[in-house]
Amino acid sequence: MHRSDSRTETPEATPGTIKLPAPTAWPIVFAFGITLLLAGLLTSPSVSILGAILAVTGCIGWFQDVLPHEMEETVEVKAEVFVITTPRREVERLPVAPELPRALLPLETYPVSAGIKGGLAGSVAMAVLACLYGVLKQRSIWYPINLLAATIYGQSLQLTPATLNAFHLGSFVVASFIHLLTSLLVGLLYGAMLPMFPRRPILLGGVIAPILWTGLLYSVLGLLNPLLNKVIDWRWFIASQFAFGIVAGLVVVRQQRVRIRQFVPFLMRAGFEGPGITKEKPEKDGSR
Amino acid sequence: MSSATLARSSNESAWALPSRGRVGMFSLIAAESAVFTIFVVAHIYYIGKSLSGPTPKDLLELPIFSTVCLLSSSLTIHLAVRALRKAKVGVFGLWWFLTMALGAIFLVATGREWQHLIYEKGFTISTNLFGTTYYSLVGLHAFHVTVGLLAIALAMIFTLLGKVKPEHSERLDVFSLYWHFVDVVWVIVFTVVYVIGR
Amino acid sequence: MASDTIALGIADPDARPIGERLHDWVVTVDHKKLGILYILYSLFMLVIGGVEATIMRIQLIVPHNHFVSPQVFNRMFTMHGTTMIFFVAMPILFGFGTYLIPLMIGTRDMAFPRLNAFSFWMTAFGGLLLYFSFIGGNGLYGAGNAPDVGWFAYAPLTSRAFSPGHSTDFWTLALLVSGIGSIGTAVNFITTILCMRCPGMTLGKMPLLAWLNLVTGGLVILAVSPLTAAQIMLSIDRYLGGHFFDTQAGGAAVLWMHFFWIFGHPEVYVLIIPCFAFASEIIPVFSRKPIFGYPVMVGATVAIGFISMSVWAHHMFTVGMSSYGNAFFTATTMVIAVPTGIKIFNWIGTMWGGKIQFRAPMLFCIAFLFQFLIAGLTGIMLGASPFNWQLSNSYFVVAHFHYVIVGGILFTVFGAFYYWFPKMSGRMYNDALAKWHFWLFLIGFHLTFDFMHIPGMLGMPRRIYTYEPGRGWDIWNLIITIGVFFQIAGVLVFVGNLLWSLLKGEPAGNDPWDAWTLEWSTTSPPPDYNFAKIPVVESRRPLWDIKHPEDPDWKYE
Repeated sequence: MHRSDSRTETPEATPGTIKLPAPTAWPIVFAFGITLLLAGLLTSPSVSILGAILAVTGCIGWFQDVLPHEMEETVEVKAEVFVITTPRREVERLPVAPELPRALLPLETYPVSAGIKGGLAGSVAMAVLACLYGVLKQRSIWYPINLLAATIYGQSLQLTPATLNAFHLGSFVVASFIHLLTSLLVGLLYGAMLPMFPRRPILLGGVIAPILWTGLLYSVLGLLNPLLNKVIDWRWFIASQFAFGIVAGLVVVRQQRVRIRQFVPFLMRAGFEGPGITKEKPEKDGSR
Repeated sequence: MSSATLARSSNESAWALPSRGRVGMFSLIAAESAVFTIFVVAHIYYIGKSLSGPTPKDLLELPIFSTVCLLSSSLTIHLAVRALRKAKVGVFGLWWFLTMALGAIFLVATGREWQHLIYEKGFTISTNLFGTTYYSLVGLHAFHVTVGLLAIALAMIFTLLGKVKPEHSERLDVFSLYWHFVDVVWVIVFTVVYVIGR
Repeated sequence: MASDTIALGIADPDARPIGERLHDWVVTVDHKKLGILYILYSLFMLVIGGVEATIMRIQLIVPHNHFVSPQVFNRMFTMHGTTMIFFVAMPILFGFGTYLIPLMIGTRDMAFPRLNAFSFWMTAFGGLLLYFSFIGGNGLYGAGNAPDVGWFAYAPLTSRAFSPGHSTDFWTLALLVSGIGSIGTAVNFITTILCMRCPGMTLGKMPLLAWLNLVTGGLVILAVSPLTAAQIMLSIDRYLGGHFFDTQAGGAAVLWMHFFWIFGHPEVYVLIIPCFAFASEIIPVFSRKPIFGYPVMVGATVAIGFISMSVWAHHMFTVGMSSYGNAFFTATTMVIAVPTGIKIFNWIGTMWGGKIQFRAPMLFCIAFLFQFLIAGLTGIMLGASPFNWQLSNSYFVVAHFHYVIVGGILFTVFGAFYYWFPKMSGRMYNDALAKWHFWLFLIGFHLTFDFMHIPGMLGMPRRIYTYEPGRGWDIWNLIITIGVFFQIAGVLVFVGNLLWSLLKGEPAGNDPWDAWTLEWSTTSPPPDYNFAKIPVVESRRPLWDIKHPEDPDWKYE
């Protein structure tokens, strides 16, 4: 299966013809030989012997096809004259700025850091509200933290109503981790999504999105966190979601927008510096 | 295609693509490596899992001489192809013959090892798990050596007939990739079967 | 199809006898003829595999049915699975790849034309060998005996003790033969795409179809080779008395599972990535927009290729791996959903704001988007090991992977078929029949495979021969089987359309879709040499550049 490059795309010797690999029966003979060779294992040795003979014959024949020169056949080029056109309607083009005839949207977006900042700010707002709920309603700041940790932390799941109000280091670490991670991820999502809905960012981020995922959580909370599901106060829950959404949305939209760099070469975006990378595309007159 | 060329400038002179032979051979080598990986994994997985003897320690001796022969054939085939590229056909024939001889020595040594195991120790592929993995892994490698040797012998015949020219060095170079691969696989098989497995 | 394509390709066809024309097809090394041979062969096998599926569904239509015997049922599900994966899906995708890649990258043939012919014939003979088992597979039951060990043939079911006779050997050797063919095709794809591109077509300017087939080629090499190795081991066990999978001698049945699924899961991506490629060519053309996020599409595909090599054991959660194993394979399975999701978003992004034309190829691709999304979601469900423990080996799993293979793969293949049929035959298909095909098949698909999830969740295991009434499975099985008949009707319309259009279809012209890739710049069907002059390209949409000289793509890429 190894052959070197003897075929090249050089102009043909005789004009008006093209050389193509010649048809050959040896590959099928070789393939049939191998198949019979194996089929002999299932039927009788004589089939294998026939297969071996065919395979060797096919192999030799194939070899003679490619050595010393590849067999080629000459095909005549049929004169085909056709013009590649589009059936689309021709339209008059509006005179737009010459350097940007195609709109690349959006032109600007929020930097990644905006989402991170928004997520962190939102997480603070949410935590404040949740702890306020704990202090006001349950008389313990640790109450919501223990509940949150029960999502993935087995020990918290086993807390009784009596111990829910106490401080547990494990629960605290786990809950902080969950809270920060989800806040960051949701913040990043906000940063990415808000430019898509430029009219009312706070409405989307602060109201619609929290309602959507509160609904989602409402349906699956029993699976995710049975403990929280048992004792949850949905009014406070959705209030803290709103707090997160509004604060995160506000922080994100206040960030400076940056021009997107999607159409800049990859090497430049990756920060490589060197000759030739920043070269402009050669300008071309449209008279072609 | 008669309407217009699709390019705005002719940059055909700078258009270079990798050689078909090399890319094809590397793809084939990747496929073969995957096959060997499965056999090597099976061998490693079954080390020491045989329910009955004999064990590798009772049977195997390090095939140092044949290993040296096979590995040095990588060097000779490289020198052969280099000689052909410089149009020294005679030198090429010499190195090529040496490659063939070294490969044949390896194959004969493996054959003798097997003969010893089968006829004197009564150890076959169905004796135990070790027999199964040993014979199939070493056998698979020996099969690849055999295929390579057949190709080398063929090229040797053409050399003796005086049909090998410097312009064939590219093809033989591609083939030498296969031979190097067979050698590298032997290093792995040797390590797994004769060093770790023992 | 054969004679007709020649008729359109070669002047004065009737001057030569039919035997000579058939001979042309047998000895051909032309990638276009081989591609069509692949496709015709797979369509034929599709009908056979479909008949086997129908037999199974008729058997399951009511409880306590005895349409076929349990032994025949076992053979049917084994042969159905093996046929559909190895002799329908792979060859039809290879066929499209073989036909399209040289045309799309602007060259005259594959890198190794004879190897191409050899690979096709190996695949074809592999299928013949498999089906010869019905006549020659003498086994325990005396008469002809096809393989009946399931398409993944778990050990120790395949050992001599449990599978006497030659039925399993037929399965092993047929896959060995076709596997050699597949590896040959993959080597050819990779080499062609890397070494045969026309001037100007850098890797970043290749059509996505070429890129995705490059990844497929790599996956075939890394996935099919382990299967070949495992088949050699199984043959050693069965013929030479080896003990690879013989638990009596210390061998491990689980090792076979690992080896099979190291092949088996990348295989899913071998099948779906070319379908992604079809969608990536068809959706932009019928949305009249360039593909959204070309570099990300390439990156996501390459990522899928890599990650798919590390998810195989999610087929084996119920085997009892360590908790670390379960966690690892759950995590990788979740991760692979990310690049796949990126691709779905990119296709939607391509359609977003486009001027969508609801032609038959586009309809199939839109259906693919929805169905593949659902298939991916059930895939994520099954990828979570605790969920998997509940539903593994149930009809839920069957529904899931048929959603991938029928709803994802077969739909895009039909779409690709309608899209490139004018190029291959030179004639336009009948649009009304195509839409009948689409709607009949869509209804049948959803009747069958939507409702198949439910008996799975109610506990119906896969591969059962029949079932007791009153378990709540009856009505669902009835609906599922009714859906099958809609699908059959759809396929019949498809075949009818194919034949009718070949004989009576209107001439399609060279570029019926106003498309942008190189295959549309030559005649339909293309001449033997593809391009009289090797094209030179400058952008991902070379034909756009020609059609719109005032606003070419190369200014923006």
